[in-house]
Amino acid sequence: MWAKDVFMAQTDNEVKLRMEEITKRFPGVLANNRINLDCRKGEVLGLLGENGAGKTTLMNILYGLHHPDSGKIFIDGEQVKIESPAKAIQLGIGMVHQHFKLVEALTALENVILGIPSDRPPILDLAPARKRLLNLCEEYELYVDPSTEVWKLPVGKQQWLEILKALYRDARLLVLDEPSSVLTPAEGEQLFRAVRKLSQEGRSVIFISHKLGEVLEITDRITVIRDGHVVGTVPTKEATQRELARMMVGRPIMMERKSRPIVSEKEPVLVMENVNVNDDRDLPALKNFNLTIHAGEIVGVAGVDGNGQRELAECIVGLRKRTGGTIRIRDHIVDSVIHDPSFVGFIPEDRQKTGLVLDLTVSENLVLKDFPRPPYTKRGVLKYNTIREHARNLINDYDIRTPSGEVQVRHLSGGNQQKVVVARELNAGPVLDIASQATRGLDLGAVESVHDTLLSERNRGAAVLFISTELQEVMSLSDRIIVLFRGEVMGEVEGDGADVFTIGQMMLGQMAEAVT
Amino acid sequence: MNKTKEKQAFISLPGIGELALSGVRPLIGILLGLLAGAVFIALSGVNPLDAYLSMLTGAVGSPVSISNVLVRASPLLIGGVGVAIGIKASLWNIGSEGYIYTGALGAVAVGIAPLPVPPIIHIILAILAAMGVAALWGLVPAYLRAYRGVNEVVTTIMMNYVAMFFISWMVHEPQPLAEPGSFFPMSKIIAPTAKLPILIRGTSLHPGFIIGIAACIFFYLVLRFTPFGFRTRMLGANPEAARYAGVNVRRQILYVLLIGAVMGGMAGSFEIMGLKMRVFQEFVAGVGYECVAVALLAGGNPLGVIPSALFFSALKAGGATMSIQTGVGAPMSVVIIGLCVIFVIAVGYGERKRLEKLSESEQEGEENTEAKQYVR
Repeated sequence: MWAKDVFMAQTDNEVKLRMEEITKRFPGVLANNRINLDCRKGEVLGLLGENGAGKTTLMNILYGLHHPDSGKIFIDGEQVKIESPAKAIQLGIGMVHQHFKLVEALTALENVILGIPSDRPPILDLAPARKRLLNLCEEYELYVDPSTEVWKLPVGKQQWLEILKALYRDARLLVLDEPSSVLTPAEGEQLFRAVRKLSQEGRSVIFISHKLGEVLEITDRITVIRDGHVVGTVPTKEATQRELARMMVGRPIMMERKSRPIVSEKEPVLVMENVNVNDDRDLPALKNFNLTIHAGEIVGVAGVDGNGQRELAECIVGLRKRTGGTIRIRDHIVDSVIHDPSFVGFIPEDRQKTGLVLDLTVSENLVLKDFPRPPYTKRGVLKYNTIREHARNLINDYDIRTPSGEVQVRHLSGGNQQKVVVARELNAGPVLDIASQATRGLDLGAVESVHDTLLSERNRGAAVLFISTELQEVMSLSDRIIVLFRGEVMGEVEGDGADVFTIGQMMLGQMAEAVT
Repeated sequence: MNKTKEKQAFISLPGIGELALSGVRPLIGILLGLLAGAVFIALSGVNPLDAYLSMLTGAVGSPVSISNVLVRASPLLIGGVGVAIGIKASLWNIGSEGYIYTGALGAVAVGIAPLPVPPIIHIILAILAAMGVAALWGLVPAYLRAYRGVNEVVTTIMMNYVAMFFISWMVHEPQPLAEPGSFFPMSKIIAPTAKLPILIRGTSLHPGFIIGIAACIFFYLVLRFTPFGFRTRMLGANPEAARYAGVNVRRQILYVLLIGAVMGGMAGSFEIMGLKMRVFQEFVAGVGYECVAVALLAGGNPLGVIPSALFFSALKAGGATMSIQTGVGAPMSVVIIGLCVIFVIAVGYGERKRLEKLSESEQEGEENTEAKQYVR
């Protein structure tokens, strides 16, 4: 921030971008609700908010990927209509998406010039482009070999390449969406140097993140978004961690903790010791993770999405290979996929992609794991009468709204699809329940029904791991709460009397001891 | 919001209408294909009605022509059902041509041996040898796809060429299978005990089509009523969910691709022992690819393979008559087949788009606009 203080004083506060009253509604979701935002020339603006707060939608509107239902956008004081990314690029807007948009089979250089007409058509002369790219690399200290294919580049380099791609098009306003999530600390430093250089040149940067520390380090001002509207904008110098966390998480609505009997049985069910797991990109997702859950206990996992929650759930049931450590469930050491719902019930985070086969019927989905065993298969033949009978019972017990068990599960509403998963996973009375984002996208009634089911599972004596990015429900349901940040436990608090701001700060990367 | 959703869900339930449509869909496609074919026939200066009529008489006009259709249908039924199983599992097993060649080689190797056994035993041994050799051949692309993630389309097509030229080399002198002093590279003729019985005197009708139809019914039952079939359908509809539900996805992929290979090999053995009596270079000339088209036309449904294969062979057999009687080139039947396949797929595609739109409007809006990753 040192150099920039001087710099900010020297330049005019001319506004590069102003977004006025932007509203965007998706079916069932008000993603952006009359959002006002501005970004000055040479400024690094932090955009802070939880997952689903509406940051990405807003930036997609800016980049022409979505069209706002209402609202105006001004660039350099002039009102513009951004109907496509091509138009956005033409207006000098560059965007680095959280998930890279690179063509893996092409080289770095080819990716950079993709979509730019050749200087000497029809001949594609790469030499000048290469020179220009190398100059950019040099200038911003973001080194990428132009002739290496993207699939051979480590993720950090791919990040540089995305930024270089925008700079090659002379972006005056650069949007970085969660840029540091794939970077090592050293690469993060490098990124910050480049961002500082960009702002010194008078370029504006919008820096999206939900990591408080780095937002405080790199930005000039911070705009906080929650539930689709702007909570406020503060100069970074005047901001404090606690204040920002409060703005992000919001005022606690009167939260009713579910009343619960004390379960006397206290033997450990799930024991994880020094577990290490990688994510899909082979980067560490859980680091030396330890956790014990006892019978009759709900352990809530709080944290912003993408901090290791998915990998945590998947490694417990053996869907994801560990790179180290041990996982024990009762006396069973996890070494292959567990697909016995009478042992472990697992409600996966994406019911449509993982939990269900949408093209199969409700009754077939209800035996998705048990079908090869009796009574559903006898002498190598599927017993459809038994399967249908079983479906009728579960449809009744779990109040699944469907005309019959013989309807493709695709035709059920989200809440009823989830009930199919819940019924299948929990009906057999597992010793361990894992619920991963089990209420995502459900309406209130369905959420309530999932909560009640999990609570009665706990009271029955099951160990329950409840993973959710909705802090609210974690706090209302859990006996114990752990907070995940970048694959590590930031701290653990009792569910009773947990303080929302303490947890909020841990979610943003503060260790428990450091939280004030 | 919820109420409207439930309402929509209720309306879109698959009732009689939609079920009927799924059966009618290929017929609409075939009709459109025939109409488009009529345009091409008219362009070559022939009345399409006359042409189609002579095609029809050529296919079903006499017992001999019917038996020709059935003989042609035999490898399409047996090989096609193997491809169809793959389609149900979202695997594109284009290797039938290669399996037929290698299967034929296996059948000939056992068939030419003068074994002192009754014909039924000799025939069964030869068929098993064909299936075994084809399975070995199919193991290569199957293993690569299942355990190394290599695209099966590429490997199976490439293996087809290898098989073709390998067989060509095998029937050249001085390879032991080759007929000495023949005018054309070919293998020795199989022993009389290895020849399939002819069902109707004066025709070449061998029992291949019966076995083929039985195989189609068998695999339909397997898909529908066994755990193996359940796994296959799960694999095809949602491999991630299959893995989550405890299916050994890699092994299932291996098995499904091997079924295609084994059935292809069996098709090759019937072609040899019922019709050709020996193997020579390019002896099937594209029948394997026709198996793929047959399975496509059937939408991967084993029962659908039966009409699909019969339709195919009727067009091919009738095409020859059409060419003689009306002067339209015989390749026109291949053009018509191609058009039918394209239109059936197009109708299916349109239908799927419609369903997707329907289910999209049922689901809640998501912020996420990421492109769907092609999961391999």
